[in-house]
Amino acid sequence: MIQVFEPYRKKLPPLRAYFREFWRRREFASQLSIYDDKAEYLDSKLGKVWLVVNPLFLAGIYFLLVSVIQGRNGNTGFSTLCHILIGLFTFYFAQNCISIGAQSITRGSRLILNQAFPRMLLPYSSAHSALRQFLPTMPIYIAIVLIGKLIFPNANLPGLNWNYLLIPLVLISLALTSFGLALFFATLNVYFRDTTKLLNYILRIWLYACPVLWLPEVLTGWHRAFLYVNPLGPALAANSRIWIEGSTPTAAQFVAMFAWALFAMLFGGYFFLTREREFAIRV
Amino acid sequence: MSDMKTDLAIKIENLSVRYTINIDNKITMKNALMRASRGERVKTKVVEAVNNLSLEVKHGTVLGIVGANGAGKSTLMRTIAGILPPTQGRVSVNGKVSTLLALGVGFNQSLSGRDNIILGGLAAGMTLSQISEKTDEIAKFADLPDGFLDVPVRTYSAGMYSRVAFSVAVNISPDILLLDEALSTGDATFKEKSFNRLRELCEQARTILIVSHALSSLNELCDSVLWLHQGRIREIGKPEQVTDNYLKFLNVGKTSTALEDL
Ligand SMILES: Nc1ncnc2c1ncn2[C@@H]1O[C@H](COP(=O)(O)OP(=O)(O)O)[C@@H](O)[C@H]1O
Ligand SMILES: [Mg+2]
Repeated sequence: MIQVFEPYRKKLPPLRAYFREFWRRREFASQLSIYDDKAEYLDSKLGKVWLVVNPLFLAGIYFLLVSVIQGRNGNTGFSTLCHILIGLFTFYFAQNCISIGAQSITRGSRLILNQAFPRMLLPYSSAHSALRQFLPTMPIYIAIVLIGKLIFPNANLPGLNWNYLLIPLVLISLALTSFGLALFFATLNVYFRDTTKLLNYILRIWLYACPVLWLPEVLTGWHRAFLYVNPLGPALAANSRIWIEGSTPTAAQFVAMFAWALFAMLFGGYFFLTREREFAIRV
Repeated sequence: MSDMKTDLAIKIENLSVRYTINIDNKITMKNALMRASRGERVKTKVVEAVNNLSLEVKHGTVLGIVGANGAGKSTLMRTIAGILPPTQGRVSVNGKVSTLLALGVGFNQSLSGRDNIILGGLAAGMTLSQISEKTDEIAKFADLPDGFLDVPVRTYSAGMYSRVAFSVAVNISPDILLLDEALSTGDATFKEKSFNRLRELCEQARTILIVSHALSSLNELCDSVLWLHQGRIREIGKPEQVTDNYLKFLNVGKTSTALEDL
């Protein structure tokens, strides 16, 4: 196996070789994320619990705010709560994927200076961490829905139906969109070290721009465009539609969701891959 | 792809590596915007860390590298490992490279020695099953004091930590092993053991590059030694001869380098 290293130019590496190596080393990324979590929560068993309690707590607060603003009514109240809950859980998955991923290159500087590997493994590892924080919130959401159905028998939440099979599709495209954005911000953070700080503000505002605290239906006419210019908008709207209404996402939601995933991956991937050889000089 | 002769492990042609250092303290959007609003440009300084260097290393050679701080040794090693891109020239490497560079990989300090072995192996390109198979062997080689393998590495002494890192690097069967100031760690027994391991590797026709300030160890281990001075090869040849000259330079140089710096 002969490797040749030549001067750096802003162009893509040989993609097949790159992704073959990426795939061969994918376990490094997943284990890195597992061990990172292990180190983080080694001392506090409560840490893991907090990951779930925190969004629940926030959902409770947002729900109170929303019901104060809207005035309340028992049955729609519960489905509003569920909409906020599933929206928050899913949004936090995207948010974690972006924000942990954005720090991955600068935080992994020692690794980058001492080992040669496809750098995309680091944000990929962050995506793993985000996914592992997200998965335990799913059974909790389902439990809350089941309990709620007992307490509010009239709540108009859908039962088990075929549309649930579309959820993985929604989550995958949301994950790809977030991963693409993470690649972009991770690269930017190498050049401007305050990117992640700025990103924290952006993500906080981003939540309010997403159909999480409000229903996608409140946007009518040309205002609906607002939903689609937001990279996370279509997927979150589709997500709520499946969970809360039990219906199939609209064609527009599907198209926009896949388009954003594709665009984010191509754009973020290109930005990252053309610059990753420079990371070792700059971190 | 490359016109490399098959008996060569490393071929370096006219390699230059330059760093562009920002003199301004931190690169942030805020600073960049403020500079732009004042119409200033970023102040930079170019450091030529490796300067038009050519070198061929045959399979099965142990090459020592000496040189003052800032001579470009680590930069050269990182370029061979494919971590730093060359600014000019070309580096061809034939075989799997394992690196043990000065900083250490530095995973989370709360992880145990065993965790570090596993992550270290994965970082070096092994699969989980490959490294799981080898973990015990590596742990045995590192030979930490009783019970230390499973406690956080932040409780380790520097020597203990570098034993773990060294054990991983030499036990993942690299074709080319790059050691940057990673030799002179550990006590006498571990030193003996690591020297034996390095000799074993080179009998299996592996290639080893060692950056070290322990000149006597280099004399003992190496087939030849390269003296790097300000990014260029000052001398390359028989270990005793080169290290002797380097030592003379260091002693005489006390005054002359002081003058150079002025
Ligand atoms: N990451 C870096 N950014 C900017 N300059 C660097 C960096 N690393 C090394 N240098 C410069 O390159 C030169 C060679 O450094 P190095 O290769 O680390 O030398 P050595 O390992 O021989 O001490 C030094 O002048 C150093 O200041
Ligand atoms: Mg050095």
